[in-house]
Amino acid sequence: MGLIDKKPPKPPASELFRPYSDEEKALLAKKYTPEQIRAIEAGEGAIRPEELDQQGVIRTDIGSLSYLDDFRHYRSVIDKKPPDNTPVDPNARFMTEDELATSFSEYYDKLKKENPPPPVSRAMREGDPEEFDPTRLNFWRADLESPRYMGTNGPIPSGPNLFAPAIPKKISIDGNKMVAENGTVMEEDSQSVVDPRDPDGIYDRLRKQTGLTLDDIFGLESKVVVQHQVTNQTRLGRVRSMYCLAIAGNKNGLLGIGQAKGQEAGNTMALAKVNAIRNMKPIPRYEERTIYGDVEAKVSAVKVKLMARPPGFGVRCQYLIFEMARAAGIHDLAARVPRSRNKMNTVKATYSALMKQRIPDEVARGRGKKLVDVRKVYYAGLV
Amino acid sequence: MSLVNVAHICSHLQNASKARLGLTSVPSTNLHLSLLLALQQSGFLSSVTRGGLTPPQIEDLSSYVPDPVTQSNVATRRLWLGLKYWNNEPVLSEMKMISKPTRRIWMDVEGLGKIVRGSKAGYVQGLTKPGECLYVSTDKGIMESRDCVERKIGGMLLCRVL
Repeated sequence: MGLIDKKPPKPPASELFRPYSDEEKALLAKKYTPEQIRAIEAGEGAIRPEELDQQGVIRTDIGSLSYLDDFRHYRSVIDKKPPDNTPVDPNARFMTEDELATSFSEYYDKLKKENPPPPVSRAMREGDPEEFDPTRLNFWRADLESPRYMGTNGPIPSGPNLFAPAIPKKISIDGNKMVAENGTVMEEDSQSVVDPRDPDGIYDRLRKQTGLTLDDIFGLESKVVVQHQVTNQTRLGRVRSMYCLAIAGNKNGLLGIGQAKGQEAGNTMALAKVNAIRNMKPIPRYEERTIYGDVEAKVSAVKVKLMARPPGFGVRCQYLIFEMARAAGIHDLAARVPRSRNKMNTVKATYSALMKQRIPDEVARGRGKKLVDVRKVYYAGLV
Repeated sequence: MSLVNVAHICSHLQNASKARLGLTSVPSTNLHLSLLLALQQSGFLSSVTRGGLTPPQIEDLSSYVPDPVTQSNVATRRLWLGLKYWNNEPVLSEMKMISKPTRRIWMDVEGLGKIVRGSKAGYVQGLTKPGECLYVSTDKGIMESRDCVERKIGGMLLCRVL
């Protein structure tokens, strides 16, 4: 009935994580000094395979890679070119035409012997039975990789080739890309193409200043959280205007607040949002879900106390702090606003509390102490 | 065991840190000395040296041998403290008394364990801020609350430091 799992049982940990074999040790000895090898062996011996199997987790900290790799193979597209430390030949020169031709044909023959053309092509062959290869891969490889320089002791082999050229990392889907990666404005200007999502050009300046595309901007979480009327008493009478305070965040660690004042409600709100997006800054998050310990901040008469909470607790706060936590991507948080509860100052105090968190690593370095995150190191983030 | 003078030290160290002083001095007593040595052990202070009314030379702080305390000079002895700063911020930024001269608070290991784990015990708030330390006066000397829990010793709560 499919109720029994027929998957083969997992091999024991000692098979998953084997100690170095003699061959591997010989290979290591080529690369490392005996002292380093002893250190490596001590390190390997310190962790039992069972513990590694049960508690080992893939690194997610700042120094980790964004892809899986154990560095056994050199991948020409991802990895940096290994430095060439061989001494430079003083007599190196570019080959003459004849030498180039010989070098190419020799290299081509060698490649052909190593990678013979597929058998299908042999069945299709016409004319010269030796030369026919529909993929012509060997030909192109020989063209790129055959030696071109003649040294004292014969041809100098050329280094590894990067087969794939640099591919652009990010392509705008907007259709009118205004700002290049390095921040220079490209020749197409914003006025000529009007995006239907932003017909009034509210975000034009922001896009030019920050290099964000409209997709990026609409992907952000931005919201006007405080708005009220303010009056300026002049000799002409009361001049009324509108005040807006907006928050913006990417739900993944960036948060900003922006203020604006103006006569018209719509413009002012949009301006406040733009200011909030422009002011976005990274806030420290513990495990990308809560804050580092408890923080307090005071703005005017408003005191805000934010408290870190365990996983699954949720954001149990008043609505202003809730909105900010949601925009910043904080998932576990508790808060208290014990004194005055002015909305504007609550938002400002929360922002300043989030920004002034004490990072345990910094505290440890200030005191000259070693610090270990027990949750992560001993319990693999499982408690 | 005058808690008034310990309270003075608390405010003095906060003030000195806010003023970004590198070296400051407090009156020398045995209680002060053991508290400040515990602070140095935790890394809040760079040096604790007994000296006279003038500070010892900074160059030979490591090899400095203080004058013996005698009846004639005991009143002028002071403890010279080196303050630490990191990333433009003082390492010791807050120091507050828990026991007061008029209301001393003692706590057993169970209560201290609660505090160290971040929850409240009695009227004393837990250590919830990163790097917060609490110093306890025990019959084995003054030590940090985490040490107390490890060694299963209770005592009188002196001050919390951040």
